[in-house]
Amino acid sequence: MTMEVRGWIDGDESGREMLSRLLTERPYLHIPPFQKFPLRVGNVVELVGPSPCAKTHILMQAAIDCILPKHYGGLGHLVLFIDLDCRFDILRLSQMLRNRIFQANKNQSNDEELFVECMRRFLYIRCYDTLEFLATLKTLHYQLQKERQAQGIGVNFLMIDSIGAFHWVDRASTSLHLGVDNRKGLSLQNVSVTVVQEIKKLVLVHPMLVIAAKATILGNRYAANEVKWNLKRPFSPDSAASSVTNKVHQLMYREYMPSIWQSFVTLRILIQASDDHISTENNHNKSVYLSEWLMPPLSFGDSFIVKDAGVFCVS
Amino acid sequence: MAESENGAIEITGGSVRHFGLQFPIFLCFQRHFHRTRAHLREIERDRQHQPWLNGLQLLEDAQQNKHVLSTGFKGIDKLLEGGLREGQLTELVGPSSSGKTQLCLRVAANVAIQHKGRVIFLDTGNSFSPRRIEHFVRQISGSVFNEKVMSNILCHSTFDIFSMFDVLHQLENSLKSQGHKGDCKARTLIVDSISSLITPILGGSGPQGHALMTSAGFLLKKLAHELNIAVLVTNHMVAGEGGNLKPALGESWKSIPHVRLLLSRDQGNKTCSISILKHPSLASGEVARFVIDD
Repeated sequence: MTMEVRGWIDGDESGREMLSRLLTERPYLHIPPFQKFPLRVGNVVELVGPSPCAKTHILMQAAIDCILPKHYGGLGHLVLFIDLDCRFDILRLSQMLRNRIFQANKNQSNDEELFVECMRRFLYIRCYDTLEFLATLKTLHYQLQKERQAQGIGVNFLMIDSIGAFHWVDRASTSLHLGVDNRKGLSLQNVSVTVVQEIKKLVLVHPMLVIAAKATILGNRYAANEVKWNLKRPFSPDSAASSVTNKVHQLMYREYMPSIWQSFVTLRILIQASDDHISTENNHNKSVYLSEWLMPPLSFGDSFIVKDAGVFCVS
Repeated sequence: MAESENGAIEITGGSVRHFGLQFPIFLCFQRHFHRTRAHLREIERDRQHQPWLNGLQLLEDAQQNKHVLSTGFKGIDKLLEGGLREGQLTELVGPSSSGKTQLCLRVAANVAIQHKGRVIFLDTGNSFSPRRIEHFVRQISGSVFNEKVMSNILCHSTFDIFSMFDVLHQLENSLKSQGHKGDCKARTLIVDSISSLITPILGGSGPQGHALMTSAGFLLKKLAHELNIAVLVTNHMVAGEGGNLKPALGESWKSIPHVRLLLSRDQGNKTCSISILKHPSLASGEVARFVIDD
C-alpha cells in the first residue's frame, strides 16, 4: 500500500525527462522566412496574402524541410498536402528538392535514391469542391494509418492550399433552400464547423503542424479610396505618407473566414509583394516579399525573395 | 450518386438547375459517419474524393502526360520555357485590340499542325474567323491547304456562362468516353473571352456571381488536369488605381489561373509584347516581344 502511494507521489517522470522527451518528439520547426519565430507542432498557422505572393513557395520549402531525412537537416516525416486551389506544380517542388539534395550531397552518388525516398514522403490530394474536401478530411485518419503501416513514419505537416478556395461557392449554397427539414444543409458555417472539428480530431491522434494558405479574395476598394482621399489633402512628407502606406497595407487584408476558423488559427502571417526589386546573379529582377506577423502582432517583419533554389531571407 | 446497400451512408444527389451546373447536394453525411468506420473504405472505393498520390506518382504523371505545347512564337516559347503546359489554365490579359484573339487563333492553328491535336475554341463574341485560321495554317505549314488540320479545330459559340457550362460538361463526357483516338486527341481548349461571360453576372450584392466564376475556374482546371489539355482563356482590362489598367474579374479570379500573361501592343505597330504576371515556377516581370502576322 505504502509502495503504491509512494509511487503515485513520485510521479512518472521528472520535469527534465519530460522536456527532453517533448523536444525530441515534437521538435521546433524552422521555416526559412520565419526563423525568428520557430513554429511548433500543435500550432495552426495561416499565411495570408494577395495572389500572387510566395505562399505556395513557402509551403513547398517547408515540405522539403520535412521530407528530407534527419541527417540532411530535415525531419524525415510525411507531409500531407491538400490542394484546394488545384494549382500545385510538382515540377517546381522536384526542382527545389533536387537543388537541396545537390547542395547537401556534393560528393556522394545516391542522389536519385534519396530523391525517390523523399518524394514518397510527400502525399498530395486535390479537391475540386467542398464535398471532396470534407470526404478527404473524414478519411484522413484511415489514410494516415495505412501510410504509417507502409512507411513506418508519421506525419508532421498538414498543408492546405488555400483554405478560402470554396468560400464563394459555400456562401452561395447557404441561400439554397433544400426543402428537407431534418437534414443539415451545406452552408458556409456548417462547412467551416465540420472542417475545424475534423482537423481537431485528427491533430489529437496524429499531432502535426497545420499550415493553411489563404488568398485575400475581397478586393481593396476601401484601400484605393483611402489613398485617393488622403492624397487630396496637403500633407507634410514623411510621417503622413508612411501612415497612409501603413493604412493601405492594413486595409488590404480583410477577414472573410467564419469566426470558428479564425479562432482555430493560432498564428497568422501576412505576406505581400513590395515594390522593391533585387537583382540576382543572372540579372533577373526578383521582387521582394514582405512578411508581417498579424497574430501575435509582432513588430518585426521579414523580407524574402524567391530564387530557383527556394525562398531566401533578405536582411 | 450512389446509395450503399445497407443504407449506412446515404448520399442523395440532385442537380441544381438554378445555377445551371451539376451541384451534388450532400445531405447528412455526418449523422451516419459515427456508425461504423468500415464504411470509410467504401467511400474510398466509391471515389468520393480524388485518390491520394505521393510525390513520385505525381511527378510521373506530369512528365508523361502533361506535355508542353509550343505556341508557335519563339519569343513566347522562350519566355514560358517551352510554351503552354497541358494541365494548366493560362490566362491572357490585355486591353482591347491588343492581339488576344489573333494570338489565340494562331496558337490554335499551331497546335493543330505541330502537335496534331484537336483544338476546341469557345467563342463568346463572334471573334472566331475561319479565314484567319486558314491564313495562319498556310503560314505555318507552307502552302498546302490541309483539310484534316482545319477539321481538327472545333468552334462553339457560347454567349452566356450557363451554355459554357453545358458545353464543358458535354465535352468532359464525350472526351472521357472517347479515350485516345490516334492523333485526334484534344490538346487545347481556348475560351475567348471568358471575361465577357463572367462580367455580366459579377455585379449584384449576392455571392452567386462569384460562386459561378470560381466554379467555372474549377471546372476548367479539372478538365485541364484530367483530360491532359492546355486551357487558354482571355480576359480584358478595366480601370484600376491611379488610372492604370488592371485585369478584370476582380481579386477572387487572380488565384484561379495557373499562369497569367499580360499582352500589349505597341502603338501603330504590329509588335506585341507579352509578360508574365504570375507563373507557378517562373519569375514574373520578364517580357518577350513578337509579331503576330509577318
